[in-house]
Amino acid sequence: MNIREATLEDMIPMQNCNLHNLPENYQMKYYFYHSLTWPQLSYVAEDEKGRVVGYVLAKLEEDPAAEPHGHITSLSVMRTYRRLGVAEKLMTQSQNAMRDVFNCKFVSLHVRKSNRAALQLYRDTLSYTVQDIEKKYYADGEDAYACRKSLRE
Amino acid sequence: MRELPQKEANLFKQILRCYENKQYKKGFKGAEQILKKFPEHGETLALKGLFYNHLDKKEEAYEFVKKGLRHDLKSHVCWHVFGLLYRSDKNYEEAMKCYSQALKIDKENLQIMRDYSLLQIHTRNYEAFADTRHQLLELRPQNRQFWIGLAIAYHMMGKPELGIKVLATYEETLKDIPTKPDYEHSEMLLYHNAMLEDTGDIQAAFDHLSTIEAHVCDPKTLKEKRAQFLLTLGRQEEAVAAYRTLIAHNPDNFAYMDGLRKSLGLDNDNLTCEEEVKVLDVFKELQKEYPRSNAAKRLPLRYATGEAFVKTADGYLRIMLRKGVPSLFVNIKILYTDKEKEQAIEKLALGYLAALDKSKCFDTAGSSIEPPTALLWTLYFLAQHFDFKRDTAQALGYINRAIEHTPTLVELHMTKGRILKHAGDLAGALDSLNEARELDLQDRFINSKCTKYMLRADKMAEAEKTVVLFARADIVDPLNDLVDMQAMWYSLEAGESHIRQGQLGRALKRFHQVEKHFVDFTEDQFDFHMYCLRKMTLRAYIALLKLEDQLRSHAYYVRATQNAVRCYVALFDKPNGEDSEEMEGMTDAEKKKFRNKQRKAELKAQKEAEEKKAQAVLEITKKGGKVDEDPEGLKYSKTEDPLGAALKFLKPLQELAAERIETHLMSFEIYIRKNKLLLALKSLLKSIKIDANNATLHEQLVRFALAVQKAGDTLKPAVKSVINKHWETLYQGKDLSGFNAQFLAKNKDLGSVPHLISAAIAVSLIHPNDKTKAEEILFAMGEDKYVSTRSLENCLLSMKTLKSLRSNRLQEFKTKAAKWYPKATAFQS
Repeated sequence: MNIREATLEDMIPMQNCNLHNLPENYQMKYYFYHSLTWPQLSYVAEDEKGRVVGYVLAKLEEDPAAEPHGHITSLSVMRTYRRLGVAEKLMTQSQNAMRDVFNCKFVSLHVRKSNRAALQLYRDTLSYTVQDIEKKYYADGEDAYACRKSLRE
Repeated sequence: MRELPQKEANLFKQILRCYENKQYKKGFKGAEQILKKFPEHGETLALKGLFYNHLDKKEEAYEFVKKGLRHDLKSHVCWHVFGLLYRSDKNYEEAMKCYSQALKIDKENLQIMRDYSLLQIHTRNYEAFADTRHQLLELRPQNRQFWIGLAIAYHMMGKPELGIKVLATYEETLKDIPTKPDYEHSEMLLYHNAMLEDTGDIQAAFDHLSTIEAHVCDPKTLKEKRAQFLLTLGRQEEAVAAYRTLIAHNPDNFAYMDGLRKSLGLDNDNLTCEEEVKVLDVFKELQKEYPRSNAAKRLPLRYATGEAFVKTADGYLRIMLRKGVPSLFVNIKILYTDKEKEQAIEKLALGYLAALDKSKCFDTAGSSIEPPTALLWTLYFLAQHFDFKRDTAQALGYINRAIEHTPTLVELHMTKGRILKHAGDLAGALDSLNEARELDLQDRFINSKCTKYMLRADKMAEAEKTVVLFARADIVDPLNDLVDMQAMWYSLEAGESHIRQGQLGRALKRFHQVEKHFVDFTEDQFDFHMYCLRKMTLRAYIALLKLEDQLRSHAYYVRATQNAVRCYVALFDKPNGEDSEEMEGMTDAEKKKFRNKQRKAELKAQKEAEEKKAQAVLEITKKGGKVDEDPEGLKYSKTEDPLGAALKFLKPLQELAAERIETHLMSFEIYIRKNKLLLALKSLLKSIKIDANNATLHEQLVRFALAVQKAGDTLKPAVKSVINKHWETLYQGKDLSGFNAQFLAKNKDLGSVPHLISAAIAVSLIHPNDKTKAEEILFAMGEDKYVSTRSLENCLLSMKTLKSLRSNRLQEFKTKAAKWYPKATAFQS
């Protein structure tokens, strides 16, 4: 499994991976927007044939009121490619880039309240902490856990 | 008349601001207020038109903009507005004419020049773009964006050295370089470096890196570029160190490991024994240093051979089987291009199974006891291995054992489905996938896979019901949402299923959806021209321009095109409807009867569907959704000019995928039907250049010769002489029978079923009244040497060919094929 920074060419396969795996989907322009604004923050995992089998799509939260921090827009690994630690490796690379390139102090993300597996990954494997519950964060009315992780060494 | 009194002049300024702030309704009212007093004020009329445009009144928009222009031909505002209107309709050519007119009147209008330049780069008119950017820079040399814009123009014109000059000059004008790293400045410097690299002067690019280092806030790119340049410059020792640093940051990156190997001078395609040992040692070290790196474990399998391979593979397989990594086989099978490696792995895996059965260890030499799941994953691996070899019986044996071991593991049922799909049992495959899906209803991945299998089995209604299970509750029309979300995999699979069911309109509708997505991807680009200049992500922007230029060579577009061309060609051949697969080989009378029966069933189904639809429409409209006016895709299936439509689909590939033979094979199918013999000839010549021995090409060559024969004296002498000039290249001086015989003889030892099919079709065209010859050729596929290409797909194709020949030996073929593929439903009578 090859873990590398995502390029613009990866956006179509990333969208494809997202559509197969997750209920939260985005149009291509949103992927392009990520890659053209923060080209260093998104990563892909590709198999031996060069097919994208996992990705992390990430951005910088530029809310002038808060400290600049990274945000994970979407993370997904094809089911058949699990158990290799791919998600964790993708996250680590993206988080390092947030810290090194944009001087981010922390990174945030949202998890569906019903998604136990994802919460476990973020909390237990990647040591995120749940900050808050955002009521009706998702368009279908589901609540989200707002999670955070400090990027200070 | 242009001058308005003070009060209205102010109001006019206000409505301009409204436009900029997207307050279209307010602006519209303002315009009307002015027009009440000055109904012939051109610029206000034009603006009113522009507001109409944003309020979705196209016709009025054009009417008013044109009216405004008529009243004030000398106004740059009117021309600019006209340009904006065209631009919003993506009519870039007319828009550019308007901008150019506006600039003739107001030579130094920055806003218009900027808008103009956006269109120029969007349409890839780099020379003109450079001109405009040059003027902008001259007018406002203190503006950073204008410097960068000009540099990009030169870069895209293939003159990076000029671009570098522009950037260097700009950098000199900077009085206060940001003291702490600034992202935008950093991106500009890295872009400068990338342009230096593009000139090919790697030494200069390398030297430049150290001058910008302090101001760049992207340490990874700096290190990557440094390592890459050191390697190119032959400074191997330093390159080794540089790549080792990179690996420390990301020990799962293939490119870094490749860089290290190359820096160590171990980059030959065929490593000597000594070099092989060295490479393997390097990876052993890396494994020790980075025990969690998958790449360090997997990559040596590429380079190891013979005994060393067996040893390395043994270690790798054991780790992965112990851990239970589902992707192990997919990750390994690429090595099977080397038969020796394939056999070695088979031997190893069978050895594990025997030992595990006996003593719960991977071998009988007294290694440690493995967890019970090791057996499970070994069975799973072997099932996939034998499926790869299309040994269905063995594959099913292993997967059933695995399922017995752990009946609730989703992956096992998925693989069983895959084995059955490869064996031709689509219904059985679907059942397995459905079981897998029901084991984990929370997982969209298995839901998507199951949907795909439903489509493969042409169960459209089930597929639609399943795919929407993961639609969010707030979505009104989930099937349509898939289209909005650009789910191309679904459109393609659904379209292909419609083709199989003879529903060409519905199929084309799907392929046009894919095409529309690509149009949108190209259009999406527009906003980024200005955006990237502002954000300074210039390397990414250049990548965007290059990507957009060859976007349609993407596999999804190619697949959509191949299918669409197939549909349009079929519509041309049989405007009254494509024969469904069941109808192949029927006489005309039989077909008529069959069609009538079908028609009745359709009418009944249609009535039911309409009642249901009326209900659904009511619901969708209640919730504010959009109703599909043409679910049948009649717009496509009733087109007057199917070949023209096919050509339109294919055009981008003729430009972007000229190296693929499929492009020219498709072109031929269109041109030969349009009776454009010279273009058909051109396609053939291009195909010959790519692969003279391509199976389909042979059949096309024979059809071409027959078409030329048939045209006879009606051919224009000029056309005839061009064709004659190439005749020798096409047919090597043979008559058609001889040509076909030669093709057969040449491929005798190849053992290729597709070549047999092509030769059979060719012979049936040359001798339309004698099908025995064609049958004989096809039945040769029973010989042992054809076993490797006697795939399920090729058997199905052969059967289709026999059907279209109305062969009496169809049943005989089915019996044979059923022996090769006992599970395949298509061969069971």
